[in-house]
Amino acid sequence: MHISEGVLSAPALISGAAIAVAGVAVGVRKLDFDRIPHTAVLSAAFFVASLVHVPIGPSNVHLILNGLLGLLLGWAAFPAIMIALFLQAVLFQFGGLTTLGTNTVVMGLPAVICYLVFRPGVISRSSRVSRISSFSCGAISVFLSGVLVASALISTGESFYAAAKLIIIAHLPVMVIEGLITMLCVRFLKKVKPEILEVTHAKNSA
Amino acid sequence: MLKIVRKVVYFPRSRLVPIVSLVVVFLFCFSSPVFAHMVYLYAWVEGRTIYTESYFSGGGKVNNGLIQVFDPAGKKLLEGKTNAKGEFSFQIPRKTALTIVLNASMGHRGEYTLKADELGGIAAPETKKEQAVKVAKAESHSPMQVDADQIREIVGQTLDSRLRPIARSIARLREEKGPGLTEIVGGIGYIFGIMGLLLYFKSRKR
Repeated sequence: MHISEGVLSAPALISGAAIAVAGVAVGVRKLDFDRIPHTAVLSAAFFVASLVHVPIGPSNVHLILNGLLGLLLGWAAFPAIMIALFLQAVLFQFGGLTTLGTNTVVMGLPAVICYLVFRPGVISRSSRVSRISSFSCGAISVFLSGVLVASALISTGESFYAAAKLIIIAHLPVMVIEGLITMLCVRFLKKVKPEILEVTHAKNSA
Repeated sequence: MLKIVRKVVYFPRSRLVPIVSLVVVFLFCFSSPVFAHMVYLYAWVEGRTIYTESYFSGGGKVNNGLIQVFDPAGKKLLEGKTNAKGEFSFQIPRKTALTIVLNASMGHRGEYTLKADELGGIAAPETKKEQAVKVAKAESHSPMQVDADQIREIVGQTLDSRLRPIARSIARLREEKGPGLTEIVGGIGYIFGIMGLLLYFKSRKR
């Protein structure tokens, strides 16, 4: 999902960077003192997740975990993702510095959207609703990222439907795995540290 | 010592199950090759031909990827598509540094630069080669008739074929920079460093 350097045209890069800056600004404002360590831990998890490979067919794809980040961080997912992507670009040459903004939007925007949509379901008392919502949160955020990559690639002349189809088919297994991981994490956190889920919700809705 | 052992023994079962399942999922994922999905391109020179090979990390070949060759001024010299094995070869178009750019779909892009001196002495045309072979055959009968140029020619050809595997693996080594443990741990360290900085500044404001 990382878009490499030199692929996108200037308008796509600039609009990506502008949206990313706005997202990061909102994220940093909403980030309060007590949640900094928690954000850093998830940023590190996101940073490492790209190294976890899911081999499928000829190609292989990696975990993204943006749904989980969104769910646990809300808007703070934006700065967390940007820092992790920056380090991936510098240390691993995944993506690139010029595409940092676009890549941040590609992964951060679905995280925030899924946070807003699925949060109420995830913290629901009913374990069934919670399970379904957390699975969808993990899976749909990957799906949305695929759609965003495809729309960023329109500017390069690739047709949207062809690119979107290719990316989404390649990421189907990742969607399932991310859904399962998100579900497991939510279940685990509900048992062990339910305040992580509850507290962030209370603060952001207030 | 005894106390620690006791703690492990009494670790609640309800927590153990999700932890173990998460660990298993991650181990399963990590067992596949740990190179992230990036696209690699490398090239080597043999006589007057430049050979390129392109593949995704994990070993999948880039089928039908677009390869473009640029000179240092950014002028496109030629382009072509890779075959099913990810290979593409072309005659040296000009004796300058060449930048070979691969554009695989989904926003993946690879680049490889050959310096002018790597192009070596552009080998003699085919006809001369054939002559040289004839000479080589004749050599066994009357070695005294071979002049210095012809010897150079024969040695050059033999070296080319002998060095082919080495040239190939050097090109491949130069390109394959998968993230090592140092980078991964370093990246995580940076994230926690940033966390520390943020905490420091925010705590001073309080």
